[in-house]
Amino acid sequence: MKNAKLKIGLIAMTSLGLMLGGASAFAAGEKRCTAGGQKVECPTITEAEAEAASAAFLKEGHDMEEGKGGSTYGIAPFDYLTGVGKRGSEAAKGAKAGTYKTDSGYGSKSKGSLKTELWDRVKNPTAGAGVYDQWTNNWSPKFGTTLVAGADANQGKTYYYSYCIACHGWLMHGDGPSASELNPRPRTLTRGNYMQKKTNLELFTVIKGGGEAVSLSSSMPSWGNLLQDQDIWNIVAFIRAMQDVAPPKSVTEYLNPKSTFKPIKGDVDALNASKSADFKEIQELIESDMAGRAPGSDLTGGGFVEGGNRATATAVKLKVAK
Amino acid sequence: MQGKYKLLMVSALSMSCLMSGAVNAAGKSDKSLAIPGWQVAVPDGRDTPTIDPMILYSSGGVDGKMAIIGIPSFKTYRHIDCGVDTHEISFGGSNKGNKNGTPDGKYVYLNDKGANTVCEFDLQTGYLARVIALPFPFGVHHIAMSTDGKSLFGTGEYSGKMLKLDIKSGKTEVIDWGPAPSAPDYLDATRNGKYVFAGNYYHSTVGVFTTSPFKMIKEIPVGKNPHGTDVNPESTLVAVSDKLSATMTIIDVDKLAVKKVIPTCAGPLHSVMDVYNKDGGSYRAGIDSPDGLTSKYLYESCFVADANVKVSYAKLEVVDEIPTHYRTGHISISPDNSYVMSLNKFSTGLFSPTGIVFPVNFEMWDAREKSPTYGKTLRIMPVDGEPHNAKGLMAYLIKDWTKGQAEQGGLITGRTDLLDPQHRALSRRYFIPKENTPPGVKTVDGVKEVHMKAFSYGYIPRQVRVNKGDKVRLFGTNIDKAAGITKNPDVTMGLTIYGPYGQRSNMDLPRGVTTVHEFTADIAGEYEIFCTHFCGPLHLEMRAAFFVDDPKKGPSNLAVGDYAEAQQLPGLLEEGQLTVAERVKGL
Repeated sequence: MKNAKLKIGLIAMTSLGLMLGGASAFAAGEKRCTAGGQKVECPTITEAEAEAASAAFLKEGHDMEEGKGGSTYGIAPFDYLTGVGKRGSEAAKGAKAGTYKTDSGYGSKSKGSLKTELWDRVKNPTAGAGVYDQWTNNWSPKFGTTLVAGADANQGKTYYYSYCIACHGWLMHGDGPSASELNPRPRTLTRGNYMQKKTNLELFTVIKGGGEAVSLSSSMPSWGNLLQDQDIWNIVAFIRAMQDVAPPKSVTEYLNPKSTFKPIKGDVDALNASKSADFKEIQELIESDMAGRAPGSDLTGGGFVEGGNRATATAVKLKVAK
Repeated sequence: MQGKYKLLMVSALSMSCLMSGAVNAAGKSDKSLAIPGWQVAVPDGRDTPTIDPMILYSSGGVDGKMAIIGIPSFKTYRHIDCGVDTHEISFGGSNKGNKNGTPDGKYVYLNDKGANTVCEFDLQTGYLARVIALPFPFGVHHIAMSTDGKSLFGTGEYSGKMLKLDIKSGKTEVIDWGPAPSAPDYLDATRNGKYVFAGNYYHSTVGVFTTSPFKMIKEIPVGKNPHGTDVNPESTLVAVSDKLSATMTIIDVDKLAVKKVIPTCAGPLHSVMDVYNKDGGSYRAGIDSPDGLTSKYLYESCFVADANVKVSYAKLEVVDEIPTHYRTGHISISPDNSYVMSLNKFSTGLFSPTGIVFPVNFEMWDAREKSPTYGKTLRIMPVDGEPHNAKGLMAYLIKDWTKGQAEQGGLITGRTDLLDPQHRALSRRYFIPKENTPPGVKTVDGVKEVHMKAFSYGYIPRQVRVNKGDKVRLFGTNIDKAAGITKNPDVTMGLTIYGPYGQRSNMDLPRGVTTVHEFTADIAGEYEIFCTHFCGPLHLEMRAAFFVDDPKKGPSNLAVGDYAEAQQLPGLLEEGQLTVAERVKGL
């Protein structure tokens, strides 16, 4: 099972590799960035690199249609609808099992096992609530500790992969497929010497209220109507867990990112935010501009509803890394 | 050649069996009904019958129409106009049975998410009969028929509310489900008339509502961003498609608690199930008793995995996986349990192009386990619009009115006005070459230019404010390369401001051009913006808000706006033709 996981990781890595221009991707600085009125170093990828990443993503899509190679999710290559059949079935065991050959590389036995990643997974489900996160845990890092008290990077990761990757990229290097369409470019979220100057409060604010809430790019939309506050804190924890993480050279490195993050003194986190006057002020400011916030609305403060493996800040069991 | 004629004969025979079955064989299962023989013998499409035993009613989504499609010929018979962006089909009669319900052959309902209305079609005339305007602010996402056939339940995705609509009077009962700025979305009602279950992607829960009194009683935590919530015919289990968790949560209706979590597939969205009568034969609406119905298998659509999975109700685990082409969103089952229709949202590379917006498709695969073509695709057809859901009924429920039967009485009993959805006009639309103005609002020559960018999955900016009376020039640009976490280079986005701005803003956003709509913002209020082309698994979460502020009343919000006016659809001619539901106090 471990092998199978690595294999999936490797395939993911191959496609990631296509999108990245390597370490040189972070060479260019830009003058546009300010923080608190001060110009700060703002490393983003260059125009050419963003274009290359977009083109690579697009090529992957085209290749998939033409049956060249698989994809991250075990999608079957194009088969022109002939001989379309089962990829795994209980009813058709034995010689007749599977009429369709996949070259996606998935399957517990070997290439061309006629089974998909899905089929392996549904037969060996994770027990308990963990079953809800199998999809992303199959091919992404897991975190045993947290860098933001009361927030869980593992949960944040699942939302990052859904909502953020289109622009910020699979490895947070600001090179998602839509990055080349944006000016200024999406932030390279792993860049420690920039991100270390940003407080948790600022990160929370920019995710919940969008770029304009912190006087930065209007291209960063607000996410506060799709993600509850605790989800946003979890994403902040994931970003912190990936600081200064370079493009990985192996699957092991990819699955075990080493963050350089050092908490900023006096900063808020998910646990103590409710006691912070700054946090309260910024919340009111953001929410005053959001949809669905009629006077008297019980949406103030983001609310909290249990669901989707979401835990309250106090219920997050991950210890803060020392 | 002769062999083929023989097959046609067999087919004709089985058809006539069907017809006679409809008249005579009450209570007994009819095997010929379950397996039309021609399909097995020559699955090449050339022997397609012209008389279909079943009919599929398809919600056309962004084209604002309902399509009528034959099963299994997979030929489109006609389209009927409804409005702006149609979503859920629901037959009048009862919700007993599977997702197709127990159609009584009188009416079919279709909710219009863009216009915030419900269209009522007369199945026998084949015309639009009524448009029922829903209260503002609401934002209907889906509807579900009640067991007694008297009400429709609806989810208010843009207000965090739920409604119960009395079909006859058009009056609504609206209740709150806060705090939720974006949900509830999909819903279903139990077949015993007791509960309504609705998914909520902001909470990642399923809400449980009693039908009478209509109130929320519980919220059950499920996987991430649940969508389809589908009740089985026995009303014992609810299958929830946990979109971002790649699982199906099974809820026990008696205990109102999670019974099991089944890993199913990447990007699960909706489920349908087969349905059997008391004798174990396929359930036939209008012939068999709708009580004591059972189900064996559940079929779930998997958007990201490009597949449908088959789940056994007995084992509560996945027993089969069928590849689809591509990106299945909704899923439908033929009334005789023979075919599963995969309503695919992408046709990448499949058909001849017809313009800059590529057609999506319906794919019919053989669900009969004993068939030699089991699990294989039998038909795939390009469809227009962006179909949201489709439901089937047995064709015998629609009478043949073509030979003078109508004048002998029965079809029309009084004046029957012909409705055109006139609330769809009032804007000028055009394309311009793709422009790259930064997102936001600016005033140019007295016109508010709103520059919106659509990407996977969201809009920039998220909030747009204009003043009442402003001339608005709305620029929509798709900046997506290939639909985010799925990789389809032919991605088209949509942009619609719901309610009074529905058709004025109903934008197609194909890649490579900028779409411009010009209109006057003459009705104040807060109106949500949503995506009308199924672009990816988080398409539903693509949201923004359009605020039209009346300087006399101050900034608009869900409590401040011209909501009574918004509800008055132009085109109203006479009472009874178009019902405007009274806005419920306390919204």
